Amino acid sequence: MSRRTRLAVVPARRIMIGRALALCAVAVVLAIVLVLLGLPLGMVCGLVLKSTFGTVFGLENLALYMTPLLMTGAAVWLALRAGLWNIGAEGQFLAGATAAAAVGLFAPLPAPVALPVAMLASLVAGGAWSAVPAAGRAWLGVSEIITTLLLNFIATYLVYYLVTGPWADHVTDAQVSSQRMMLALPSVYSVVHWGGPVALALVVALGALLKRSRFGYELSLCGSNPDSARYAGIRVAPRLFTALVASGALAGLGGMMEVLGTVHRLQGGLAHGYGYLGIVVALLARQSAYALIPAAFLMAVILNTGIVLQTLQVSASSVLAITGLLVFAVAVSDELAAYVRLETKS
Amino acid sequence: MSEYLHDANAVQGARPESLPAGTPPLLSLSGIAKYFPGVIANKDVSIDFYPGEIHALLGENGAGKSTLMNVVTGLYQADEGELILDGYGVTFDGPEAAIRAGIGMVHQHFKLVSRFTVAENLALGWSETRRWLSAAALAERAQAEAKRFGLDIRPDAPIDSLTSGEQQRVEILRVLSRGARLLILDEPTAVLSPLEVGELYAALRRFRDGGGAVILISHKLDEIMALADKVTVLRHGRVAGSHRVDKTDPATLVTEMIGRPVEQKTAYPRSAPRGRADVVLALEDVSFRDSAGRLRLHPLSLDVRAGEIFGIAGVTGNGQSELADILAGLSIPLSGKVHVAGTAMQGRGPGEFRKAGIGYVPEDRLHKALAPALGVTENAVMRVFRTHPVGGRMAYHAAAARDFTRSLLDQARVTVADPSTPMRGLSGGNQQRLVLARERMISHLALIASYPSRGLDIGAISLMREALAEIRDEGRAVVLVSEDLDELMALSDRIAVLCAGRLMTIVDRSGFDRATLGALMSGRDAGGGA
Repeated sequence: MSRRTRLAVVPARRIMIGRALALCAVAVVLAIVLVLLGLPLGMVCGLVLKSTFGTVFGLENLALYMTPLLMTGAAVWLALRAGLWNIGAEGQFLAGATAAAAVGLFAPLPAPVALPVAMLASLVAGGAWSAVPAAGRAWLGVSEIITTLLLNFIATYLVYYLVTGPWADHVTDAQVSSQRMMLALPSVYSVVHWGGPVALALVVALGALLKRSRFGYELSLCGSNPDSARYAGIRVAPRLFTALVASGALAGLGGMMEVLGTVHRLQGGLAHGYGYLGIVVALLARQSAYALIPAAFLMAVILNTGIVLQTLQVSASSVLAITGLLVFAVAVSDELAAYVRLETKS
Repeated sequence: MSEYLHDANAVQGARPESLPAGTPPLLSLSGIAKYFPGVIANKDVSIDFYPGEIHALLGENGAGKSTLMNVVTGLYQADEGELILDGYGVTFDGPEAAIRAGIGMVHQHFKLVSRFTVAENLALGWSETRRWLSAAALAERAQAEAKRFGLDIRPDAPIDSLTSGEQQRVEILRVLSRGARLLILDEPTAVLSPLEVGELYAALRRFRDGGGAVILISHKLDEIMALADKVTVLRHGRVAGSHRVDKTDPATLVTEMIGRPVEQKTAYPRSAPRGRADVVLALEDVSFRDSAGRLRLHPLSLDVRAGEIFGIAGVTGNGQSELADILAGLSIPLSGKVHVAGTAMQGRGPGEFRKAGIGYVPEDRLHKALAPALGVTENAVMRVFRTHPVGGRMAYHAAAARDFTRSLLDQARVTVADPSTPMRGLSGGNQQRLVLARERMISHLALIASYPSRGLDIGAISLMREALAEIRDEGRAVVLVSEDLDELMALSDRIAVLCAGRLMTIVDRSGFDRATLGALMSGRDAGGGA
């Protein structure tokens, strides 16, 4: 009979294989559902592939999706390095977007000045939005999971208030939206703005910085075992505070890229769940910052697939269902990858 | 086959004289082998366990004792050989099957629900626990079982209010009440006070005299000599010898256990006369309250001098860990002052203590002094990452860290193929060696070592003790916290005895005496002395 034992140390190759299988399982489940819905599988696959990778529009869309996902993913990932769950990237994203929109709407500055100002404002706003949960967690031990999550709702309704009240668009009478801003991130190609390359560079820089800085080492020690970090002579609370505030700032910057690069208006629903999807991206990336890039890419493909499915009259919630399925499958496969069969005969 | 004629093996099948001829062993292992990928955990293991006999299993870490017991309790299946219970071959396809067959194990770490009461914990294992429970009925039943086996318990007390000795009694009672005829105990005295050890011995003898069989896994030779009837020594997963205890002696057992004679020294004379004896660590009326508000240390004063080994004796949990934490700057005392080399350390953290040259091997190394999920490298540099060459301004030099780790691993005599593997992948003994080597390196003034021999085997223990004596000879101080009086008496220049958070006394080397120290450890005054 075969017995299994759990490895204390799981080789990366086993994880990779497990995840590839998990991805296949998700695809199979998805295929079954599509067949049950009466859709011709071949046609749907072709359509998804063609409209995602085969058209300029699809590729642009991928790039535009990837940018905020990279930022919120990096935000959640950074907090996770310190052992913290930043569930509030959504709120911090909106806070950053709002701050950037305030600059875009009300500061009569030339773009070369206004853009750095908006960037700074979004970093500060995102950081400030996470500062209270960060302080509570670092010095009082209040669970950051709850506090960051609750602040999301405050941010969401604050944006709704602004765009239906004081900042509402009275020019074109667009609903739940501010005016279109003139201030915009410069474009790389067509609608693809410079936010994407900047986000990529930031992710790479973040990975390198944490690997080579004393702060990065201290942070991973705090996240891995706060007791031993104290023993090593590290003051844990300030590190946790810094990490969570920096995490909020990254998400805030993502909000600025979205509002000034892609949407050009402050809107209700601007965050589009990017904050929560950032958690998925960070989970997929595990220990490596560089892995955020393929993870964000995969999420962007799923979001794009969702749009294609919508054109085929499949519910918009399909994106959430696929994402949930993916997280579930990956969690299971990561766990199963730790188990090996014991050799019973030599 | 010549080995078969060896008298050690000839004893193996011997039936205790008290049993009538023809009585089969309660459990017989015949040619058991167990393999793991790349490792032979057990091979050709044949042992007979008779009713009415306490049978000790002796062996170093990794000698295959745990694996063998996992086979006996149904957690693993043997790859070769068979288990013979009451004369019939059996296979246990899981722990439940072994329990049904009357084999029960008391683990080193108790498997009790700490928020439940004693009676509730006992009910967990009971097959006839009813669907609807009344607390009174459970307590009554617990009391009845306790009486049956002569183990004194308080059924209504929650587990977390009990001492470890009382918890162990509950654990034993639970195993016995499930009908165990063969009781396996893993290092049962590690957590007990001398008084509780006596009670445990009495309970085990009672069980044996009632016809039960006991397997006692132990490192402690004196314990085996005092309690066991028979002893089997395992080495490299094989039986190295099997003896009646009254026909053997500790030296033979040690030789069999590690393959060569090792003399555990009783004294470590200085290589050079003791130099200056400046006070390096001083406590002044220091007391400590834990987070639950209990006073763990009553105000005490002591000083530790350069070039001495300062022993701290006491039964586990009487304030030694708290004292060690304070000496290393990890805990802040409730009152009083800590001085390091004459400097008051008020408001300074473990980082400043480390900078002052205090190394610390805490009791719970894995969770306090290591980050199990991080790599060996990250753990190796934990105390030096700020300084050149690993640190420097704001940087962390990964390559320098790897070089440092390699040299530390050499010093610690630990072989790790890939230093980026997580720390928890290393064996307990290797984790311990690494922490010891790391702390030795930074302890310019003093090394505080809590239970440094825990988790090490006899060979490694004697190396560790030599290392502590070397540190002393180099003019540094060592604070040695231990529960092993022999170890303390062999190494220490002075011994402080703690009981219930009080400093009973500090004894000089000339006044060392087992009986006196033992009495002080259990709270009795030395009788008019000091």
